[in-house]
Amino acid sequence: DRTLRSSDTHPEGYPTVAAVQYMGKLLEERTGGALCIEVFHSAQLGEEKDTIEQTQFGVIDMNRVSLGPFNNMIPETQVPSLPYIFRSVEHMHHVMDGPIGDEILAAFADHDLIGLAFYDAGARSFYNSQHPIQAMSDLKGMKFRVMQSDLFVDMVDALGANATPMPYGEVYSSIQTGVIDGAENNWPSYDSSGHFEVARHYTLDQHLIVPEVLVISKKTWDGLSAEEQEAVRAAAKDSVPHMRELWAAREAESEAKMREAGVEIVTEIDKTPFIEAMVPVYEKYVTSDKLKDMVTRIQATE
Amino acid sequence: MELWVLFGTFVTLLLIGTPVAFCLGAASFATVLYLGLPPVVVFQRLNSGVSVYALMAIPFFIYAGDLMVRGDIARRLVALAGALVGHFKGGLGQVNIAASVLFGGVSGSAAADASAVGGLMVPQMKARGYGTDYAVNITVVSSIIALMIPPSHNMIIYSISAGGKISIADLFTAGIVPGLLLALSLMVAARLVAIRRGYPTEPFPGLSALGGLLLNAIPGLILIAIIFGGVRSGVFTASESSNIAVVYALGVTLLVYRSLSFVDFVEATKAAVRTTAMVLMVIGCAAAFGWLLAFLRVPAQLVAVLADLSDNPLVILLLINVVLLILGTFMDMSPLIVITTPIFLPVAQAFGVDPVHFGVILILNLGIGLCTPPVGAVLFVGCAVGRVPIWQVMRTIWPFYLAALATLIAVTYIPALSLWLPGLFH
Amino acid sequence: MQRTMRRVARVTGALATAGLWTAGAGLVLMTVFIAAQVFWRYVLNDSLQWTEPAAVMIMGWFIFLGAAVGIREGYHLSFDVVLYVLPDRVRPWLYSVSDFVVAGFGTGMVIYGAELAGRTAGNKLPALGISGAFDFLPLVGGGALLVLFALERLARRAAGLSTPRFGDDHEIEPASDAGLSAAPGSEAR
Ligand code: NA
Ligand code: NA
Repeated sequence: DRTLRSSDTHPEGYPTVAAVQYMGKLLEERTGGALCIEVFHSAQLGEEKDTIEQTQFGVIDMNRVSLGPFNNMIPETQVPSLPYIFRSVEHMHHVMDGPIGDEILAAFADHDLIGLAFYDAGARSFYNSQHPIQAMSDLKGMKFRVMQSDLFVDMVDALGANATPMPYGEVYSSIQTGVIDGAENNWPSYDSSGHFEVARHYTLDQHLIVPEVLVISKKTWDGLSAEEQEAVRAAAKDSVPHMRELWAAREAESEAKMREAGVEIVTEIDKTPFIEAMVPVYEKYVTSDKLKDMVTRIQATE
Repeated sequence: MELWVLFGTFVTLLLIGTPVAFCLGAASFATVLYLGLPPVVVFQRLNSGVSVYALMAIPFFIYAGDLMVRGDIARRLVALAGALVGHFKGGLGQVNIAASVLFGGVSGSAAADASAVGGLMVPQMKARGYGTDYAVNITVVSSIIALMIPPSHNMIIYSISAGGKISIADLFTAGIVPGLLLALSLMVAARLVAIRRGYPTEPFPGLSALGGLLLNAIPGLILIAIIFGGVRSGVFTASESSNIAVVYALGVTLLVYRSLSFVDFVEATKAAVRTTAMVLMVIGCAAAFGWLLAFLRVPAQLVAVLADLSDNPLVILLLINVVLLILGTFMDMSPLIVITTPIFLPVAQAFGVDPVHFGVILILNLGIGLCTPPVGAVLFVGCAVGRVPIWQVMRTIWPFYLAALATLIAVTYIPALSLWLPGLFH
Repeated sequence: MQRTMRRVARVTGALATAGLWTAGAGLVLMTVFIAAQVFWRYVLNDSLQWTEPAAVMIMGWFIFLGAAVGIREGYHLSFDVVLYVLPDRVRPWLYSVSDFVVAGFGTGMVIYGAELAGRTAGNKLPALGISGAFDFLPLVGGGALLVLFALERLARRAAGLSTPRFGDDHEIEPASDAGLSAAPGSEAR
């Protein structure tokens, strides 16, 4: 009988929205209708930073958000947000599905949130309007839009380019008019934003493979019985493979469309110099022994 | 029941004269308490509602408008309009309308237009034998043009109220044709009334005089080009364009015209603070109100109710227009944009209406509300400028209302009027 | 009582003037920051990271301070048509209800603004590098002034002095402390 309100900034039909709706269906079946989920998609209840606070207050019950807004709040979330920390999407899956992922989810508990599961958000790579990027020297002096985060600004600066934070909606015309040279994102966003129309060079350097997280409010959680808590956790975990399928399909569709559109794609790239350039960034952000240890363990994970 | 608490508190406070911002804030506060939710969410929404980068365009455009009125840019644009259309039937009436098109291109505010253009035109019209009612009628209704010709900070408020996902450049472009259409229909109305009353025309001043006036007005015209060109080409954001407008207006009035004193500057700053704090406080409180509307699923329920009434988008748009026109007679524009956008936009979209087109309908509709009693900010300004009581203006304003309503109907049912021009840029 | 309130008005008047000038300085500062951002981006071909968040934060102060001063000077948007048809002796009570509502909401701004600041104090704001609590301080500061000015209106009314009416033309010059009772748009007319 209880409907959990869950927030998402993506529109109806987006893999994350569909995944939480799928989780709601599982939950409804397994609890005999005692618990269900209603997804408030398209940022109806606010942007991520705001809905995170609302989840902490217990005003809304669940939230599907990216890790970025947590970086300055929960140090553990910085680790999977580090550039080039994961060698591939599979590597990220192995890490986040294992004990390191559980450790990061557990860190949310100190902030009135219960971490339930990690979702995919693909790999972010650079695209630009000027020339193909084959090596780090090609990035020199170029201006890239990044998300408003000190870590991403430092990453771009460390690669020799110039970071320009700006609202997502302004990126298209800014590239078109040469205010910036490019931006960085995953296949689906490169496609849906139309940025490929003005930035024809896409280099799959996969600098960020940051998963997204599904959390539930601690207040809501404490109001559930032990069985219900178990059901919520299980349904969340069970929605992950479904989400990954949806995501992979979406990504393949966008990639095919981009190749069709004749975008110039650089796939073969030696990432070693890029990774070496990140040493000062890691030094700045990975400060505690705990985080250093986590980085080492991730790098050791197959 | 929650909806009764939300709307009941809002309407009750509104009726007893509580400032609109606090009607919205207190109604949200009361509803959250009633629902047993943590009240902190109301104040989080208030703070987030005013911490929006795109919102910065509003203080800047208002500030720039104030500087231009005080710094003589407006008067030069009016003089140019006089030379352009004064020789048409209804001479100074036509000038008043054309001046609203030109000045509307720099101010973006109907009230600023009514006070700036009206302040210059109404005394002249009176002195030349035009009826005061005629002068004020035209001043009031033509100032809606300022909302349609870019820039319009109300279009920015609409874009933000819609979640910030509607392109401001598209909205600006979409308003141009409807704005010019409105000007045209008002010119026809002004002509018809002028013929019936036997009003004079002005002599055409000659091309050389026109050239001189054009030269004089060039700095103002350049500003129009910078604002529109900057936003449209995407070189500048709306916030940056509005900032450039302020810096430019300061530069022109301080250095070129040397028409702005330090006292004028301080007064313009204070006036801009008062106006924008008032408007933006409403926007912040409406963010809390709008959050509750989404939380309580009001738009979804409304879509269901309207879908029961009709599945014809034309009927739905008519219903929405009637509701907005009624609300517009009672309330001011910016609070109505922020309150009604989250309610009606999802409805309109559910029936297949383009959000840019809907924005133009909304702004034009609520603009008409600015000219109607009992609450019509522009009507009040117009009457104050003309020093006439409202009832005297109301008796003869109907031809101009009809012209504006005809434009509204055309804009509502011919989407191409709004969407054709922005389409050219895609 | 009236004499006390006139003395109070001198203090609150000074506070309102300070609030308005601070807000005005904020507007000028915002103008300078964004102009600098434009200059750096288009002329120097470089980007400033801090101008946008800094200007947005100043805008918060500007709005809440300006809104608070608006309560004292009476320049808020309101809808008071119904009040005109009511008998004279009812009206002051309704004005007082409005002032209570404003004071109540201002109290909420202070209390919950402080709660939000407390919750985010440990976070660091991107680009500015200062505590997340700064995001919510305008809410607290503006709320405190709102409460003060709303209470002053209630006390003045109790003392038989007039207060500016909401919804008057905001272009009207604000009354100075002594002139407040004789302001052209005051309820007493
Ligand atoms: Na305009
Ligand atoms: Na009205």
